[in-house]
Amino acid sequence: MTAPLFSDLYRQRFADSMARRHEPDAIAKLRRTALDRFGKLGLPTRQQELWRLTDLSALQPIAWQRPGEASVSAEVLPTLGKTSHRLVFVNGRFTPSLSRLRNLPGNALVASLGQALLTHPELIEPHLERVPGLKDHAFATLNTAFWEDGALVHLPHGTVLDTPIHLVFHTTGNHLAAHPRILLTMEANTQATVVVEYGGQGQYLNGPVAELALGENAVLEYAQIQEEAPTAFHLGGIRIRQERASQVQLHLISLGAQLARTDLETLLDGEGASCQLNSLTLARDQQFSDSHVRVEHAQPHGTSEQVFKAVLDDQARTVFDGMIHVRQHAQKTDARQLNRNLLLSKQAQAQANPRLEILADDVKCGHGSTTGFLNVDAEFYLRARGIPAVQARALLVYAFANDSLNRIRLMPLRERLTRWLATRLALDLLEGGT
Amino acid sequence: MLEIHNLHVTVEGRDILKGIDLTIQPGETHAIMGPNGSGKSTLANVIAGREGYTVTQGGIRFDGKNLLEMDAETRACEGLFLAFQYPVEIPGVANLYFLKAAVNAVRKYRGESPVDAMDFWELVRERMELVKMDESMLKRSVNEGFSGGEKKRNEIFQMAVLQPRFAVLDETDSGLDIDALKVVADGVNALRSPERGFLVITHYQRLLDYIVPDHVHVLVNGKIARSGGKELAVELEEQGYALYNEEPGRARRVAA
Repeated sequence: MTAPLFSDLYRQRFADSMARRHEPDAIAKLRRTALDRFGKLGLPTRQQELWRLTDLSALQPIAWQRPGEASVSAEVLPTLGKTSHRLVFVNGRFTPSLSRLRNLPGNALVASLGQALLTHPELIEPHLERVPGLKDHAFATLNTAFWEDGALVHLPHGTVLDTPIHLVFHTTGNHLAAHPRILLTMEANTQATVVVEYGGQGQYLNGPVAELALGENAVLEYAQIQEEAPTAFHLGGIRIRQERASQVQLHLISLGAQLARTDLETLLDGEGASCQLNSLTLARDQQFSDSHVRVEHAQPHGTSEQVFKAVLDDQARTVFDGMIHVRQHAQKTDARQLNRNLLLSKQAQAQANPRLEILADDVKCGHGSTTGFLNVDAEFYLRARGIPAVQARALLVYAFANDSLNRIRLMPLRERLTRWLATRLALDLLEGGT
Repeated sequence: MLEIHNLHVTVEGRDILKGIDLTIQPGETHAIMGPNGSGKSTLANVIAGREGYTVTQGGIRFDGKNLLEMDAETRACEGLFLAFQYPVEIPGVANLYFLKAAVNAVRKYRGESPVDAMDFWELVRERMELVKMDESMLKRSVNEGFSGGEKKRNEIFQMAVLQPRFAVLDETDSGLDIDALKVVADGVNALRSPERGFLVITHYQRLLDYIVPDHVHVLVNGKIARSGGKELAVELEEQGYALYNEEPGRARRVAA
């Protein structure tokens, strides 16, 4: 028996999923529009330019199911200190027993998106699906059609959150497809740190979408840690719109899944907006990890910096596709992009497609890409001081990767990832790191 | 302690060392001088165990053990040290971490426990003073952004912390002004002892004014052309290496 086509499967499920919901008409309409859009797009194939290097044929034969309820023990979930606002989602459902909601200043709200749709529809309807980008992205449209839960973070004018928001998405089971949604609305002069973690057990598909809207002068540090199960598929999207003088520092740490892809689009839609995109991918065995980025400079005096690094071992493959698009009006833009890949095996393969489209005439834009093996001179230098070859190589990999982790400002996260990295490389660390 | 016997080395099929004999006893400092391309750095690298050099004849023994059978890290753990001509920059690895990893690697090889944090710190502070190094250099990445002089001082500093039994200094004087040269030489001299041997490789006699050798050897075209005492260095400085050139055409021109 052959499984139904991926897109047929989702169309069949749609009526059921709509029948379950009791939600505002506006949201239902968004879902129908998204499903129509998905019907036209279908499961991406390698004939499509943006999916040329991403082979999704492994998804086709699996009859993906809506995830059922499941319980997990708290020990398997990542932690971020004791003070964070913590929302845990197991198989796409908000799980209060594993979550911790602390008092928030003023009218700020951190909540389950599914629950907030019932209690605070006025905070969702005007904002959901409003951040542009990923319009032709099949998994982003699927997410809009099918999301059941996720996180809402709403920060009214002037709200400054001192403690980080920790969103943990855990999927467990086989042949399950989850489509969690994150909606972050930051009004003017707000400040927040958000850490999103994806993980689980089994052969599942996770297709999250995060929509981040930053008002004037808003400041956001946002980290996405993708550590899905080794057999899982992760196909996620992040859409950002930045108003005047807002600042985003975004970290994409990609460690798990057999096939992972994140599509990121950020629109610098106000004067003097700035974004820093910092990414580290570690891939080994037959892992495939793909980052597709589009930075859209729409207004003058914007700055953007992309640093995408990857360490590849065994037969792993990575793709970095990065577009800087500077509109005619966006004079005095300063946009940088750097892609560096470290190959630990001759069978590993890193693809880099840096792209620039500049329509303004008074801008500074630059991009660079390097792919290479470990520096043999550096390795010999360490060995000549008595450090065994295995440890010398681990130290050099650590140094390469830790450069990305050092950009993370949130110390509990940086320290946790640094320890994780050292453990993976079997390195002993000193107090104070390397 | 170091015995080099009829050493022949090729690099990418070219003969570079063509029969070196050299014995260095504990407590002795030997200098090897020679023109560019004579094989000085090849000798240093072969002793330290760098890949890419093929020993076709002869051998090297260190305290009676066959040095050529050991990989580079084992040689270091046995007490051999190479001060690099061109120290390598290693972004992301702090000097202090690197040093501690090296000290602990040597201790592990000897079957000792990792160094005590306080003892290590005391040793580091004391040795930093020896080469007039600023404490801030400990936190910086290994050699990254260091000036030429700082890199060479860092080499001597590492030597002072690791306290090898035998050290090869490969053109440690190149690119140093006179003040930095004195600092480096003072550092080396402070480490000289009846148990420790040094092989100082240099192009110029100037360094040997400050690190006074017991023996001087002239390396030309892969062979030791002449050996003598410290006065040989002065003679070389005055007369140059041309006298030792083996090419008949050039030798005749010099003779004429």
